[in-house]
Amino acid sequence: MASTQPLRRTTTEGEVQTDDAVETKRPWNVIVWNDPVTPMTVVVVIFRKIFGYSNNKCTQLMLAVHHEGRALVWSGHRERAEGYCVKLQVAGLQSTIEQDA
Amino acid sequence: MFIRRRDGRVEVRMNDYGRSVVRSAFANVLAAERDPDHEWHVALTGPIDPSLDQDNPVSMLKRQTETSTNAELASLTVDEQFLNDAEAWVWLTTLQVALRSTAQTNGLHTDEQLAAADEQMLAYVHTLQSLLFELAACF
Repeated sequence: MASTQPLRRTTTEGEVQTDDAVETKRPWNVIVWNDPVTPMTVVVVIFRKIFGYSNNKCTQLMLAVHHEGRALVWSGHRERAEGYCVKLQVAGLQSTIEQDA
Repeated sequence: MFIRRRDGRVEVRMNDYGRSVVRSAFANVLAAERDPDHEWHVALTGPIDPSLDQDNPVSMLKRQTETSTNAELASLTVDEQFLNDAEAWVWLTTLQVALRSTAQTNGLHTDEQLAAADEQMLAYVHTLQSLLFELAACF
């Protein structure tokens, strides 16, 4: 009997944490921002190398950055989003992460 | 200036002036990463998550380490005639970091600001862009 108490608590904690879990399931977006100096072909090459996207998709994303000022290039778990953001920054692109609204 | 050869290596065909521009760019990125007072340092430490007061220290360290490692390898190979794939990649990323740091440090955030930049600055930006354009074609 003594052991049931902690188990119940664990169950309750699990239920309480469900709300938080739902909250953190909103994906994190990796955003790349436009700048006036980076050659378009360089952006395409960096996207292809970091994400492994097709040339067509990389070109579409590059054009979205160019015309709209920013583009969402990847979406998912926070840790991976942060990792991709760092890779993009190391490659010289202006990038940030933000949680999906 | 950069040619992808059949054996996979990238050949660098650059005169002394080109090498000096590249050498200076690599050295500046390396110095900026190590020296908080360097004028490019702010450009290298932009926010990862702007909604936070401070980014995850692990990610910040990873960014610093990778940028430094790339700039070091680029500096070590600056006089080489042939680059392997990894070396060519760090040349590209380090030149791109140098280009964007130059733009950011000199307030070139828009096309209009770039168009209004002085001739010397424009010439430097165009030189880095030309190098990047040709190097990107090798990937």
